[in-house]
Amino acid sequence: MKPKVAVLFGFGINCDYETKAVFDLVGGEATRIHLNRFVLDEQNLDDFDILAVPGGFSFGDHLGSGRLLGNRMRFALRQQLERFVDAGKPIIGICNGFQALVKTGLLPGPESTTTPDFIQRGSLTLNNSGKYEDRWVTLEFDPNSPCIWTKGITRMACPVRHGEGKFVLPSPEDFDRLETNHQLVVRYVDPTSTVGQGRTDSPLPYPISPNGSMRNVAGICDSTGLIFGLMPHPEAVYARWLHPDHARGTAPKVASETIEGWEGEGLQIFRNAIEYVRTRHG
Amino acid sequence: MTITRVEVSPKQGEGMRDVRGDVVQRQLASDHNLIVAQVRSAVGYLIQSSISSEQIAQRIDDIFTDPIIEQGYCNQPAFSDELLFSQTPELVITVGFKPGVTDNPGKAAQDGFQTLFPEATSTSISTYISYAFYGLPSSANPEQIAASMHNGLIEKAVITDTNACSTRAWNLLEYPMPPDQQFKTPASINLETTDEELLNISEKGLLALNLEEMQTIQGHYRDESNRALRTAVGIDPIAPTDVELECLAQTWSEHCKHKIFAANIEYTDTETNEQSTIDSLFKTHIMKPTHDMQGEVDWLLSIFHDNSGVIAWNEEWSVCMKAETHNSPSALDPYGGAMTGIVGVNRDILGTGLGARPIANTDVFCFGPPQWQGDLPENLFHPSRVLRGVHAGVRVGGNESGIPTVNGAIVFDDRYIGKPLVYCGTVGLMPRTLPDGRPSHIKTPSPDDIVFMVGGRVGYDGIHGATFSSLELTEESPSSAVQIGDPITQKKMLDMLIEARDLGYITCITDNGAGGLSSSIGEMAEYTGGCHIDLAKVPLKQPGLSPWEILVSESQERMTVAVKQEDVADFLALARLHEVEATAVATFTNSGYFHVSYDEITVAYLPLSFLHDGVPQLQLKATWTAPEHTDFTPPKQADHGQILLDLLGRPNIASKEQWVRQYDHEVIAQTVGKPFTGINRDGPGDAAVIAPIHGQTQGLVVSCGINPRYSDIDATSMVASAVDEAVRNAVCVGVDLSKIAGLDNFCWPDPIESKKTPDGQFKLAQLVRANRELERMCRAYFVPCVSGKDSMKNDYGSGENKISIPPTLLFSLFGNHPDVRQTATSDFKQPGDIIYLVGSSKEELGASELAFMLREQGRSQGIGGKAPYVEHPDQQISHYKTLSTAIQSGLVRTAHDCSEGGLGVALAEMCIGGRCGAEIDIDGTGDASLWARLWGESLGRIVVAVAPHNNSAFLEHMKGVSKTILGKVTSGNYLHIVDGDDIVLSSNVESMTTCWQSTLDLSKEAGA
Repeated sequence: MKPKVAVLFGFGINCDYETKAVFDLVGGEATRIHLNRFVLDEQNLDDFDILAVPGGFSFGDHLGSGRLLGNRMRFALRQQLERFVDAGKPIIGICNGFQALVKTGLLPGPESTTTPDFIQRGSLTLNNSGKYEDRWVTLEFDPNSPCIWTKGITRMACPVRHGEGKFVLPSPEDFDRLETNHQLVVRYVDPTSTVGQGRTDSPLPYPISPNGSMRNVAGICDSTGLIFGLMPHPEAVYARWLHPDHARGTAPKVASETIEGWEGEGLQIFRNAIEYVRTRHG
Repeated sequence: MTITRVEVSPKQGEGMRDVRGDVVQRQLASDHNLIVAQVRSAVGYLIQSSISSEQIAQRIDDIFTDPIIEQGYCNQPAFSDELLFSQTPELVITVGFKPGVTDNPGKAAQDGFQTLFPEATSTSISTYISYAFYGLPSSANPEQIAASMHNGLIEKAVITDTNACSTRAWNLLEYPMPPDQQFKTPASINLETTDEELLNISEKGLLALNLEEMQTIQGHYRDESNRALRTAVGIDPIAPTDVELECLAQTWSEHCKHKIFAANIEYTDTETNEQSTIDSLFKTHIMKPTHDMQGEVDWLLSIFHDNSGVIAWNEEWSVCMKAETHNSPSALDPYGGAMTGIVGVNRDILGTGLGARPIANTDVFCFGPPQWQGDLPENLFHPSRVLRGVHAGVRVGGNESGIPTVNGAIVFDDRYIGKPLVYCGTVGLMPRTLPDGRPSHIKTPSPDDIVFMVGGRVGYDGIHGATFSSLELTEESPSSAVQIGDPITQKKMLDMLIEARDLGYITCITDNGAGGLSSSIGEMAEYTGGCHIDLAKVPLKQPGLSPWEILVSESQERMTVAVKQEDVADFLALARLHEVEATAVATFTNSGYFHVSYDEITVAYLPLSFLHDGVPQLQLKATWTAPEHTDFTPPKQADHGQILLDLLGRPNIASKEQWVRQYDHEVIAQTVGKPFTGINRDGPGDAAVIAPIHGQTQGLVVSCGINPRYSDIDATSMVASAVDEAVRNAVCVGVDLSKIAGLDNFCWPDPIESKKTPDGQFKLAQLVRANRELERMCRAYFVPCVSGKDSMKNDYGSGENKISIPPTLLFSLFGNHPDVRQTATSDFKQPGDIIYLVGSSKEELGASELAFMLREQGRSQGIGGKAPYVEHPDQQISHYKTLSTAIQSGLVRTAHDCSEGGLGVALAEMCIGGRCGAEIDIDGTGDASLWARLWGESLGRIVVAVAPHNNSAFLEHMKGVSKTILGKVTSGNYLHIVDGDDIVLSSNVESMTTCWQSTLDLSKEAGA
């Protein structure tokens, strides 16, 4: 079966085309759907297996990135989202989508229950540099994370493209709790560090950490590992020719036959979710 | 209705910082050398609503405040909170918008407010920002700081001084109530008057029409048959209404009609004694060559008559491109002017055929030097402020629209202080055939189709933009010509219209840019032969606009779309879904008339033929005498190593990475050839390569060329250089030269001889020579110009203080790439790779960057001499083809063109990109002096590096192409250059990198 993926768009979301494309490339059946089609009941989230909230500039980032889109989801899509999460279906938010998931309260989500309570517990705020930037970063993933999206991935290079990507939680205890649960799924790391040992709590310098995120966090998941959000753009390296080192002949190769052997490192994230759904449906 | 004030300020604590305040602090230090200990900020919202302050206060954390990182206040200024602001600031400056100015955060807040309070439909919200300053030096002048933080044309600033701060008696901004507009029923304007009075009418009304044009209009209303027809529709039979006169002025403006390019020109060359007549530069040198080329290929689908030129890219997709300038608005308000520039050209793409999707932006700017220390003419901004503002506008416009900025340039010259040039380009993509079988590049309107205005509303902003840009900038330039773009309103509209296109609803579409509805509907009406507009139906931003204002307002984010009657309901439903306003404002007819009503009353009734073809042809004179310059003579003694470092730090050569990184260049996941490249991703990219269809490897190349310095010698050289540079850059990434198309964007000083412009004949002669060279190069290179634009009044002031820009052509190129997996970048790759110079150097140092630099350093006298020229362009293009196919076949992975600073700078940049060294011998690279071979900017030259195992295949492939072996890439960190037995220079890669990167980094503490 082809898992059905709803790729949200509208109001300034702008990575919808490529987000649809990457799910299609790994065997999903993705559709770009305007948020209002769900709100107006022209479409029902129940009919989909995966929800993707792509990157972009919803509502121009005014009043805080992802906030107004988050509010639309929180107030107008509440029941549908609740059912979707309760049904154990994966959700990904990338960049602006991550910001929206954090501001709806879906990430990091409640501690004990899996039913969303739509309470905001963290935030993404202006980069320490004060600048929006498009630059490539190196990421490392927590191998013990429950996150279904990142299974088997150790390190990846991909671009960040944001002005508000600094992840903050109200207290160090909040970070400790998420760390213990392995919810701090992905962090910015020094590309010269030993692969698998790059993750650190101590703040890395700009531009290794492009935004000054606390504990260098680039993305987190909820307690179930089904809802995942990150600031960097794995979909932007779906093919090796998109890697900046590709003309140098040193873009990392991936063991896969997809795209005539030219698959890039980012595609695995989307394949993980598609395979998760397939396995679940037996 | 009550007004509630909400203020929000960042919390303090571990990891929390007030980034907005930090940015202001850094900017004051960088631009004004003003060191302030700390700056903190608060964002304010003034909410005019039926919802009470108490109700708002309860929901403040749901919308205005992010409870994790911010503290919110209702009807209490943030700075009054003694817990968050325990120290009293020494100065507070609050900046908000003037009435009627687009307030995007306010608009977004309104939208969010309505999510929470659906009943509050008539809420309006205005925003402002307050900055609190701590540790001000005693020399600080609050007025000056405030002036540096706002633009008085569109914003208002209030200051709370130290005394008032000490008692926390803040000077607050109030809600900017727009003044009532006076609705005026159309009046007739009596043209039965003297010539002098006719000119007076034109000047006073900002109509920018000359005497002959006014007389032509006068003649139209004297015609008896016209009078009879006018009587029949109940409009003043003998005189134009203000609506008609404004409409004619817009349609006949230089901006819309390109009268100088259409003029009849008597050209005299005093050097050759040539005397000739040119009937339209455009038809002769641009249209004719392109039409000739169209006869030879099948891929030129749509040229000249649409909003952008369309080429067939493959069987399934076509691509189009357009570039525009937004110079005058950017001079008045760099941020808003540039933003409307970029989102405006995006609409040209959306308005091409039945609608193309913008997939890539390009931005090319010409500014005064950012480190300018000299005087500034009144009302002009310092170049660094123009740079910051324009960059921010283009950044916000492009990034928020989700269109990657893939290519561009920034050029500096003192004369651009008078008028910055802001070129914005966009590439579009559309399926060759729509689902309903119609070819997407052909508009299919019929009489009775309903014409919708879609997107934004019409406001007082943007009245007279087109006529204003056809006048020189003065101190009294009107503020209504300035607008701020609203990318999100436009993005919603774009999403909706692409869906409408694929559903087959659209029969005709065009954008509302210069001239507003008057232009957009007026031009589309030519397809069916008439239209009838009802201005009373047009939705307004504020009530009270008069009919002529509604017709010509250039308010942004609007498209005009025609829909078949039977699709109207579905079209409207789609608009509602996307929360896009769409209003039926007109019907297509075949009456032959541009018929405009306000409700039942006819307010304009103009034959389309008169409106579009009635403007009389200008008769102009051009005389060429070569300008005299002291020749450039290089100094006897020279430290070429130092010259290299100096050149690398020249603003025209220095890295623009700090600025370019702030553009999203990778959205859509298609950008293969990026603006910066190399091991640390900080070497220069030559041309953009994109693979826009996900999973497929066919690509598009986008590049540009611009070199205004050469106009000082001869505009011929300036144009040759621009065209060659654009093609050369594209060759460096392996473009398919059998399918490339060009865009010519001319920016000129006023070339019409007059009291204000005594040297008009010379400036027009420059234009003639530029056009002739454009034709010569484009024919030889087979680059059809499929779209272009001209901006002809780029002067500031008059008399002795007049500043005219150097004549400037931006040549943009887009073309096919057979397979993006086989491309090259400028960075050196591997030690041992063999370096070649393809092409050769000539003695062409006139107006080179080197000549300008040494003159400024007082080390040489003049900049005169021979400027670059391509003697045999047909031979040149065949060499380019050979090299390009070498790249396409994977033989060459490293290529970089020689442009500003010549071979020396190109090699340095390649070392920087690879963070490695090179051993170079420039002996044999051309029949020219060492200076010319090292620093000259002769055209047609590309440096390549070839891996040793590919070397023999490369040499075999390149047979018959002029090339010289230069040396090898080394693992060291020095660039060594010798000329035979003579050592020329030895330069450390790290010092070269530092010099190249520091000049334009105006934010040195970023990330600190």
